[in-house]
Parts: sequence; structure tokens; C-alpha cells
Amino acid sequence: MSTLSVGRPLPREDAWAKVTGSARYTGDLLPAGCLHAAVVRSEVAHGALRSVDVSEAERAPGVVTTLVGAEIAHLDPVFGEWIPDQTPLAIDRIRFHGEPVAAIVATSPRLAREAAALVRIEAEPLPVHLDIDAARAEDAVPIHEPGDRDRNVCHAFEVAFGDVDDALADAAWVHRATYTIPAAYHYAMEPHTCLASWDGNRLEVWSSTQQPFKVRADLARIFRLDLNQVRMQVPFVGGGYGSKGQSKYEPLTAALALKLQRPVRLVLDVREAFLTVTRHAARITVTTGVDADGWMVARDTVVEYDTGGYADKGPRVAKKGAYRAAGPYRIPNIRSHGVSVYTNKPPAGAFRGFSTPQVVWAAESAIDEIAAHLGEDPVAFRLRHLKDRGEPFLGQDTPLDADLAQGLSLAADGVGWGDAGVADHGRGVAVAVKDGGGGSARSEATVRLQPDGSIEVQTATVELGQGARTVFRQIAAEELHADADAVRIAETDTTVAPFDRGTNASRSTMAVGSAVADAARRLYEQVLEMAREAHGGVSDLCLRGADVIAMVDGAEHRDSLASLMGTIRGLPAAELGPLVATGAHVTPAGAGPLGSATPFYEVAHGAAELSVDEETGEIMLNRYVSVADVGFAINPVTCEGQDEGAAVMGLGHTLFEELEYDDEGQLLNGALYEYRVPRASDLPSAGLHTILLENRDGPGPFGAKGAGEGGIIAIAPAVANAVAAATGVRLRDLPLTPERVWRAIRRRGQGTGDA
Amino acid sequence: MRLTCVVNGNDVAIDVEPHDLLLDVVRDRLGLRGAKRSCDAQVCGACTVVVDGLPVSACTTLALEADGADVETIEGLAVDGELSAVQQAFVDAGAFQCGFCTPGMILMVEALIRDHPDASPEDAGGYLKGTLCRCTGYVKILEAVQRAQAAGQEAAAS
Repeated sequence: MSTLSVGRPLPREDAWAKVTGSARYTGDLLPAGCLHAAVVRSEVAHGALRSVDVSEAERAPGVVTTLVGAEIAHLDPVFGEWIPDQTPLAIDRIRFHGEPVAAIVATSPRLAREAAALVRIEAEPLPVHLDIDAARAEDAVPIHEPGDRDRNVCHAFEVAFGDVDDALADAAWVHRATYTIPAAYHYAMEPHTCLASWDGNRLEVWSSTQQPFKVRADLARIFRLDLNQVRMQVPFVGGGYGSKGQSKYEPLTAALALKLQRPVRLVLDVREAFLTVTRHAARITVTTGVDADGWMVARDTVVEYDTGGYADKGPRVAKKGAYRAAGPYRIPNIRSHGVSVYTNKPPAGAFRGFSTPQVVWAAESAIDEIAAHLGEDPVAFRLRHLKDRGEPFLGQDTPLDADLAQGLSLAADGVGWGDAGVADHGRGVAVAVKDGGGGSARSEATVRLQPDGSIEVQTATVELGQGARTVFRQIAAEELHADADAVRIAETDTTVAPFDRGTNASRSTMAVGSAVADAARRLYEQVLEMAREAHGGVSDLCLRGADVIAMVDGAEHRDSLASLMGTIRGLPAAELGPLVATGAHVTPAGAGPLGSATPFYEVAHGAAELSVDEETGEIMLNRYVSVADVGFAINPVTCEGQDEGAAVMGLGHTLFEELEYDDEGQLLNGALYEYRVPRASDLPSAGLHTILLENRDGPGPFGAKGAGEGGIIAIAPAVANAVAAATGVRLRDLPLTPERVWRAIRRRGQGTGDA
Repeated sequence: MRLTCVVNGNDVAIDVEPHDLLLDVVRDRLGLRGAKRSCDAQVCGACTVVVDGLPVSACTTLALEADGADVETIEGLAVDGELSAVQQAFVDAGAFQCGFCTPGMILMVEALIRDHPDASPEDAGGYLKGTLCRCTGYVKILEAVQRAQAAGQEAAAS
């Protein structure tokens, strides 16, 4: 008698709202009396801030107030999840071109921006360091106090197993190559938006954030409030991809609202969003030792990430990148060194894939170069090296929970690997593993069953588009034996939502979804117990609309839920409140090098087929297949959509996306007519599609793992490998622009074959 | 200055400044917040509004350019609580995720279906290249186009 909800492609919970345009995002909220903020940004990339003159701005039409860093220095204004080194406005130092230095509040956004142009910033310029080498040079100026770290090193992390130096010394052949990938911008279509309002000493903030509880904690600390005096609400968010993690503009907006004792809204221009957070540029050197029988015996990786002017998630990126550089292969000697380096550019932070698109760009390109040197088919080379399910990833971490060979074979088959194929077409594959699910955490969820049979689920997960609300609805319905239509997801509100650390790391289905399942199961048990009290032997029941249908001694017995509850509680229906249950899920700490036990591995398998126009260098994609090992797709359509979207986002950094700065650190292409993101016309001519691999082997509800990041990780090396197959040319620098491809093809004619 | 037009079938007559943008008037004066500001540069289509049958980027259209025009926004599509065929196709195909591009995307697909009912997937991709989406990768959006085309053909046949 169970309801079949999970595993079905039910319409999204937010479908009506989004297709009718009634879905509300933070920028759609405009309370009465709300004023509008604009940010004044630095026009030098590095300097000692001497003065900020707002006098002319203050007199501009419509201006209600201004704010400079000196006015908030007396608070505890520093924030930053891993290294607290950011302030809402620069106080005595500017570290990147575009850094917020002052803010204006006016009666309209236009008047605020016009006044912002009147602010005069005086800064004593300091030498500008725009890349890793400049920042680490002997004579480089420290961008932050180095403490006991090397100059401009934000964080360094090394992990090693076996003896790489010995193994390389003994190897029959050593391959070594350096790969680069530039910075990119997430371009969530909704720019960062924040609305803050004070009610006495209670602060209410609406924000497009992925981590409401973390932001709440920062706000409480900065403004010296108790946690119960700060309320974060998050409506629908128009895309995150990591760009909306940890505090961004909430402290600034709250400070403006505090000064005025009126609600203040800050809606960023997309051009400013480019200056808020980026995806780390990286340089990766991979050194691989191969024995006389063609087995890889050692891999040494150095991955250097350009983390910009502030740490943001830089330390974690360096750690994760080094960790994941070990790769999915049986290589007995591993050493990976990851470092995040400060430069005078906007801070680099979390971005879908989190350190891993960069290292895998290098590692999976290197694999193909090695296979080519050995004269071996790249799929066969991978298959004989890939670890099996159950083998350790690294050291004492959770064993691999995926059949990588199965996924790789599926992807390769998807582009007809081994078939004769079309002349001039090349095929390429890539496979990678990322420890998924985020670090140790406790996630909770509350489910309420109202006497009329309607159900509410409350979590702190943010609906970014990934479909969390839909997935939680289906999980709750399944565990409660109810219809999915009866389940509503409450808006995210820290006053009432149970705790969760954040919507990122492909963790929400696994962690919060498990808490939802736990809560719903407990609620089901409550109803079952009531039914048993009323009817004796109840084996099973389901909820249909306002009714409970119980199986009593093999026969169906229907009650209204309200009358069942009323009977048990001895109250009339009008006096009944909901049945409530809270569930929890713990991702435990563990013995691995990262301090947590990986709950599941998110695997990336991608295969590309393409041709190259040698006259123009243009890559013409024919097919791309991504295989997503998801354990179980609670909703197959939203799950596919996430993987397809990730793959196309990865197509962006593969072919088009690169943030470009001039030698004063000014961003040159921070607008959508210059920064090229994928369009509907960029899809492969014979399609891009995702195959869901569901082995029911995940730790989440019904055997689910997490998903959403795998698709972005494999595409760049798969495409470069296919380009090499099609043209004989190896490119090691992204993006694979027509110019780069064309130049490499020209050089091929001169015999090097390398880019 | 006086802006007189019809919006989603309703008469509108309001005073606007010459420099007021259609997007801001639609959102803040008329309360129709489905159209969104994203790139603010006529590239992404999130601000799409239809003026006399032509989809335009409202972020770079002056409000007064719509004077005397028939304006349609996403809010005007569903009639008496019933979704249009294109809206329903988006729901059935799961052709949206965060939803920020969705109002503009749906209006463009409505125009595509109306003007090029037999568009191939490649043609559809070309038609939609001025309407960006960062979440879906466009795959299910193109599926929604096919569904809407099929629904249109069925409706025509019956």
C-alpha cells in the first residue's frame, strides 16, 4: 500500500511559481520605506587607504547616508569562513581593484549609484601582484600579514603515501607536464542581493545566500548580538554554484540599515558580482612515473591556486585539490602539494567542483599523454589502472563506493568508442573522483503533519535551482506514505529552520534529505501508533488527502486524520495542532587526512566526440556524454538536469570562459557581452546527455549519493583529449579558444605536436 | 510624461520619466516582477518582455518606447489558472532550475513556436542563443520546445 514517490519524475515543487514568474527572489522584496544602497569600489588593486571623502556624495540628490570603513571598525567587522580576513568595507588597506570602500544609501538605486561616483578615495599605491609567481617572488609585498606562512601563501597542504621520489627515480619513464586554467566567474543570473532591517536590536536579513546559518553567526558576532536576535530568510535563489557561500554583503547591508534604522536593500549589478568572488585560476604540474610494463607507479602533483585578495574558501580549496589529485587510479606512491596564494584580484572562492575541475584538467590530460606515449588506447589504459569498488581512495578514508570502470565504459560507449567513427572526428574521455558531501556535520529537519493531512517540511537548505525542495517533498511523501502533492516545503528561515551548515558540496540530498527521511519516518510511526490505539492490529497505513487508510487485519479502514487524532487526544478537531517530528543526520569526523570520513564519492565520467576546423581552430562538438553515478535519483529529471547543467557550465571554461585583467589589476571583461558563457547554440550537434547510474549504493535516502558537481569536472580534459585524437595536437592551457587551437595546429606542422 | 499602453490585456496610464527603463516600470510601478534584471546589457534575456508581439530586452528599452503598445509579460500567459502549452511543456520537461531566466526563456519559446513552429533543435538553439541559462545547460529547454511543438501540432490536428 506504499506510495510511489521517490524515483519518479514528478513535476518540481516550485514549478508553478517559476513558470508563471511568481517565484520571489531577494530582489523582488521591497518593504515599505525601503532605501537603496550602492557600493563604492576601489580603483586601485593594492594600496594603503588614506582617506575616503564622501562630502560631495552626501549632498547629492536623494542621498540619505553614506558609510565608510572607519565607521564600522569599532564592531568586530572581520569575517571569513577559514581565515577571517575580510571586512564589509576596506578599513586601512585595499587588496583588489573593485574592493568595496564605501556605501551610499539613497531613495532610488539610480540616485545611489550616481552619488557613488562622487566619492573620492585616496590610497597610497602599493606594488600590485597579479599572478602566483609575482606574489611569491622574493620582493613581493605581503598582501596579508604572513604570520608563520610563506610570503603571500594563504594556505599550503601536502598529502603523501609511499615514497614518490624513490619511485620516480626507479621509473622506466617519467612524464611531466604543466597545465593551466584561468579564473572564471560563476555568473549566477541573479546577482548578489541583500535586504536588511532592524527592529530595535533584532536584525532581519533576506539574502541570496547558500549558507544562512553561517551568515547569521557572522552577523551576530559582528554586531554583538545573540544568535536569537538575528533572523536570516532566504527566498528562491537565482543560482549559486558556490558564489553565494559564506558572508558576502550581509554585514555591509546590515550596517547601513543599522545606521539609518530603516530597511536597506543592496542589489548588485552583475558587473559587481564579477568583482565579488571568482573561481580559482590554477597552475598544475603533474609528474608521473611509469614502469617498464606500463604501470603508473608514482604521481607527484603540485597545484597552485590563485586565491585573490582574501582567503574566502582558499584554504579549503588548496586542501581538497591536493587530496583529490591522487586520482582514481592504483598508483602506489602519491604526493600532492596544494597551495593557495594571495594576489591583488577579487577573492576566489567556492565554485562547483571545488578545486577539482582544475586538478582533473591536468591529471586526465596527463593520463592521455602517457597512454599516447605507450601507444595504448586511453580507455584501456584507464580501465586497467582504475581502482575497484571497495579499494581505499587515500589512506584511511572511506573506501570507494563506485564502479568507476562501469561508468567510464558507459561514457565511452556513448560516443561509440571503438567504432570506426567519422574521419577527422576525435574522441576523448576523462574520469575523476571527488570526495563528496562536505565535512563532518549534523543536519536536521522538521516535518509537520497537520490535522487536515497537509504536510510541511522545514530545513535550512536553500533552493538554488538544484531541486532540493522537490527532492525533500518526495522523500517526505515516501516515508509518510502520503502523496507528494500534500507536502509543502517551508521557506528557509533561521528562526524556525533546524540547523544545517549549508547548501553546497553536493550534500543536501544525502545529509538533509536523510534528516527529512528520519523525521518523516518518526512521524509515520506516530500516526501508526495512533491507528493501532484506535484499531488494534494495524500492519500498514497511508495518508490520502485528509484521511488515514489503515490496513486492519487485511482490510482497509478509512478515518479522517483529524478524527483519529481527536479520538486519541480527547480533543475536538478545532483544538488539534500538528503532529511534529525532527530528524537528524550526522556526517561523522573520521581518520582521513581531511579529518572527516567521506560519506560518498562523487564520480565524474565524460566522453566527447568532436572535429576541429583546422582553418579556424574552432572545435565542433558532435556528442558529449556524462555519466552521473548518483546511487539513486530521487527525481530523475531534476537529477539529470543538474548533471547536464554542470557539463555545459564546464563547457564554458573548456571553450570560452577566462577572466582577464590588465596590468593594474582591473578586470577587462566583467560583463556579459565580453565574458562568453555557453548559449543554447553551443550544444553538440548530436546532443549532450547524461546517463544516470543508479546502483543504490549511496548513504543517502533510498541509496542516493549526492550529485551536481560531477558533470563539470570531466569535460575539459575529455574535450582536450578528443582534440588531440582529432588533430594530434595537445593543449595544456584553458580555454581551448580557436586562436589557441589554431596556433597549436600551426606548431604541429613544425614537429613539436605540443602546445 | 504619460505612458499609455496595454499590459497583459489591462489598460495602463502612468507618469514616467523619459529615462525610465521599461524593466523598472514593469517591475516596480506595475508590480510585475517576473521579468528580472541580470546582465543589464541586452545579452541574457532575463528581462524579456513582449512589445507588440516582439520580444525585447526591457533593461535597455525606455518605458516610453512602449507607449501605445500591447505589452505582454510572463504574468499574462496563464489564463484563468491554466498554464499555456509552453509553460506546461517546461513543467513536463523539467526545463528550469533556479527559475531566474525562466520567464524570459518561456516568452522567447512562445515567440519561437508562434513564428517558427517547425524549427529543428539546431534552429531552436540558434533562436534561443540570446536567452541565457546558467543552470540547465539548455538540454531540457530544447526538450520543452519539442514538447510544445508536438502539443501545437496535436492541437492543430484536432
